[in-house]
Amino acid sequence: MKLESGFVPVALSSHIEPGTSTGAVVEQAELVVWRDNSGKVHVWEDRCPHRGMRLSFGFVRGDHIACLYHGWQFDTGGQCRHIPAHPDLEVPQTIKVPIYRAEEKLGIVWATTASDAELADITMASDLAGLRSLYVDCSLEHALAGLAVHGFATAGENAGTLTVDGVPLFIALQVVGPQNTALHISVPGAQGADISKRLARWAEALRFALESPELAGMEVA
Amino acid sequence: MQQADERRVLSLEAARFTFRGQIDCESFAEFARHRAARLDIEIMVGDCDPTAATLSVRGQEALVDMFEMACSLGPYDCVVLDVERRAIA
Repeated sequence: MKLESGFVPVALSSHIEPGTSTGAVVEQAELVVWRDNSGKVHVWEDRCPHRGMRLSFGFVRGDHIACLYHGWQFDTGGQCRHIPAHPDLEVPQTIKVPIYRAEEKLGIVWATTASDAELADITMASDLAGLRSLYVDCSLEHALAGLAVHGFATAGENAGTLTVDGVPLFIALQVVGPQNTALHISVPGAQGADISKRLARWAEALRFALESPELAGMEVA
Repeated sequence: MQQADERRVLSLEAARFTFRGQIDCESFAEFARHRAARLDIEIMVGDCDPTAATLSVRGQEALVDMFEMACSLGPYDCVVLDVERRAIA
């Protein structure tokens, strides 16, 4: 699902700490996902308008993100506000990064370029926290088929729930490329370390099964 | 504020560039216009042939410098070997 089609999951909320940035890819479109020091998350095109450097390699200072290459600073509207090599320069408003709509729900960061899209109205019994983002070398269709084996109940586009060891999981799928899919997994509240480990091992076994169709007959414990 | 305004006025520059090398005129002109728009500087595309393209620009000095750097690399289908810059009135 492309960004222009609706909200797409791009990261777990818990993986984006205040003052940090990371990259994400949605159908080969490169994004920067960053959180300012006030806690608000932003999703933009991952390219500095200066020389094309990935902003995801940059650094966050307050409510600005700066490009690693020459330190150009951008405010939360994507507007360049400061160019260190030319501190007196009145930066023109034409120097701007394309920004996308970003929301957080169910422990996941979602983004879209569609102005009228709305997040699916999915409710879970309790607040969710991110468990793990799995990056799997398989198509979206293959991932969905693999999840269906475990009783995956769809809820919204490329998202749904299933229960592992009595724990309800919410899984949202992000198409990275034709044969690359990310599964963002969130769980209710704070699970104990033992349960979290079991769920993480389950997720790794799932990835192994999805990437090894010849072993698809193996049961995921 | 007045000092800052004076500083901004004084830093405006008008320059004529001649980029020499292997030039695809249509591609180079489009690239130059795109970069000029991004940097918010005025541009006028002058003579162009497969060996040279002439552009006139006007804007804040630092942005004209950036424009020179951007066009000295040019689009992927052009090779810029030499850049000549002259200040104009």
